[in-house]
Amino acid sequence: MIALSDYLMLGAILFSLSIAGIFLNRKNVIIILMCVELMLLAVNMNFIAFSRFLDDSAGQVFVFFILTVAAAEAAIGLAILIVLFRNRRTINVADLDALKG
Amino acid sequence: MTFEKILFYVFSVILVLSATMVITRRDPVHSALFLVLAFFTSAILWMLLEAEFLAIVLVLVYVGAVMVLFLFVVMMLDTDKAAMRAGFVKMMPVGLIVAGTMAFEMFLIVGPQYFGLDKFAMPAPHPADYSNTEELGRVLYTVYMYPVEIAAVILLVGIIAAIGLTMRKRPDNKSLDPSEQVKVTKGTDRIRVVKMASEIKQEAK
Amino acid sequence: MQFEASNLIPVVPELFILSLACLVLVIDLFIDDEQRIFTYALTQVGLVFAIFITLSVGQTEAQIVFDGSYIRDGMSDVLKVSIYIVTIGAFLYSKEYLVEHGLFKGEYYVLGLFAVLGMMVMVSAQSFLTAYLGLELLSLSLYALVAFDRDSKTGSEAAMKYFVLGAIASGMLLYGISMIYGATGALNFTTVTTALMGTGMEDIVLVFGLVFVVIGLAFKLGAVPFHMWMPDVYHGAPTAVAQFLSSAPKIAAFALAMRLLVDGMLPLHSDWQQMLVILAILSMALGNVIAIAQTNIKRMLAYSTISHVGFIMMGILAGTSEGYSASMFYAIIYAVTSLGAFGIIILLSKKGFEAENLDDYKGLHERSPWFAAMMMLFMFSMAGVPPTVGFWAKLFVLDAVVSVELTWVALVGVFFSIIGAFYYIRIIKLMYFDKAENVLPVIGNLDTRIALSVNGVLMLALGLFPAALLTICVRAIGS
Repeated sequence: MIALSDYLMLGAILFSLSIAGIFLNRKNVIIILMCVELMLLAVNMNFIAFSRFLDDSAGQVFVFFILTVAAAEAAIGLAILIVLFRNRRTINVADLDALKG
Repeated sequence: MTFEKILFYVFSVILVLSATMVITRRDPVHSALFLVLAFFTSAILWMLLEAEFLAIVLVLVYVGAVMVLFLFVVMMLDTDKAAMRAGFVKMMPVGLIVAGTMAFEMFLIVGPQYFGLDKFAMPAPHPADYSNTEELGRVLYTVYMYPVEIAAVILLVGIIAAIGLTMRKRPDNKSLDPSEQVKVTKGTDRIRVVKMASEIKQEAK
Repeated sequence: MQFEASNLIPVVPELFILSLACLVLVIDLFIDDEQRIFTYALTQVGLVFAIFITLSVGQTEAQIVFDGSYIRDGMSDVLKVSIYIVTIGAFLYSKEYLVEHGLFKGEYYVLGLFAVLGMMVMVSAQSFLTAYLGLELLSLSLYALVAFDRDSKTGSEAAMKYFVLGAIASGMLLYGISMIYGATGALNFTTVTTALMGTGMEDIVLVFGLVFVVIGLAFKLGAVPFHMWMPDVYHGAPTAVAQFLSSAPKIAAFALAMRLLVDGMLPLHSDWQQMLVILAILSMALGNVIAIAQTNIKRMLAYSTISHVGFIMMGILAGTSEGYSASMFYAIIYAVTSLGAFGIIILLSKKGFEAENLDDYKGLHERSPWFAAMMMLFMFSMAGVPPTVGFWAKLFVLDAVVSVELTWVALVGVFFSIIGAFYYIRIIKLMYFDKAENVLPVIGNLDTRIALSVNGVLMLALGLFPAALLTICVRAIGS
């Protein structure tokens, strides 16, 4: 039998991997955005597992909304990335140093 | 070990490995493709959890739309891969330590001690005529009507922001405007009669 | 479930703002650049109407509709009205700036209205789901607004930083919410509170979830150590956007903290109190100390915001209705003060020139004695010097904290406020005792000048008669 803890531990691994990914790829904005998607995947995994084991549909509804918002978020994030690239000709975080103080 | 458990482990391993690949690949295109794999395997795990509708939505919306958008942008931007990787090896130990500690601490909480089978028994599978989509659809348009409306507004904001930020009128744009094209009249818009003095062709000497 | 049209009455303000935003969006398509002023006027008139609608819908007792996802109570009414007023002010000040910088477009007002809608949803949230959706509606609109000047290098960089950190914060918040959902089996605040009181679940799981929720909240509020984005965003964004960002969303952030922590998880009060104590002290310390080293006034105000966020959290952590109303008073006053301070920056900025360095304020007294006096009032109010209203705001919060026997936290707050007073007073010194570097007179449209004057005099008037607003806040929290 698969226990709830198995799913939650899987979610925890995904969550930690996404945090590690943000640390490792601090230079590359695109990969950071992918790490954020991975983080949301971990959250969704948690919600769906809870929803199943509590036998309550609210968790699944929440995931539905997270997916919707994440789609809008990705669209805006990539739009900002394109504007940034047009202005700076780079998406390397190390080159983003106009704002310091 | 039941068949389900074997499935769970196989797909979990694929999921964790592909997530690791996402954060360690040199090429963002590879990362994006591994992320697609991660979404596919998650969808299968969600099937095991009897969340069929969301599993399909994940594949359709995420793999079908969001990841394609990601790939578009990755291909469009010409990035210097070597510079992006600078500091990767140096950060590796820190990243591993952070991830390891976090995962370990989270295991202490979400592990079998609090969420094992003795605390949360495996619920009985739903009957064959149970429809997950119908179940979600029923509550979405009744109990969750207000959130649905807000989600609609969020998508609208997404559209406005994305168009507002990236659309620009290019001066070298040579596209035609069909509504102007159909308005031409047969006479003056198509032929222009030019009156000019006659010229006498000079004979070569 | 039976649908009843009367359930829609409490949401009329939200419906109105949504229709207004859509109307502005469509009308803006059909007008030329010269007539853009119409879009602006429509937005402002609509916001004024929204004040009346919200007030007329308001009643004494709280109403919960939409199966417990929406609440209308005294707090939501007062906060919504203050959000409208602050937004009207922000739009009014920013009009000239936008025209001069070629940013006077309909999208600015559409996104601004959607941000207002997001704040209203947050203010009225009664379940984790609506709180999350309202927060995202606000954040997405703000990301786009920060990148609004598409040709600005700093603007797009600031937007990228804001976006990445905001998205990570949302992820953290969601992970926390998922754990709380797992432990209580509900998303609705009322049900969650009942479940928490039953404590069927081990406390450690709840605290684990709570930690993630508080981290996410701290990111959004801009509390130390999750404040990294604020100075960069304030600095990089167009000043008009920075002004909006620093005012109304702070009121909404206060509301979000109240809804999540007080409405949703009051039984865990002793746990989140400790976390907020740490965040509040760090914010006040770091915000005030680093602000001293800034030469850019926008960055300085960002660090000042961080320290004020510390004060707002201090009122919430007291956990008494006295503390909540003090904190609410503080948040509203801070938003209005910050609006005025940014208004002065906008007034001094001209085409191709941003008055964002401290040196630009040298000798402002010679150039315009009246606006130098106004700036002085804003700075005094932020520093908490009597008789301005900022003094009372700080006093009420400190009083609330002392009355729950956390005197040492209050003392730390006082100590760092005194350090903070230094950099506010430095601006006053620059304005009054230094020689002006340029002697251009200060010119601005009549409406901007009147609004700034009202805003500045308000600091003094509310300082002399703080009871009126305080009574409103106390009554709002009590209902």
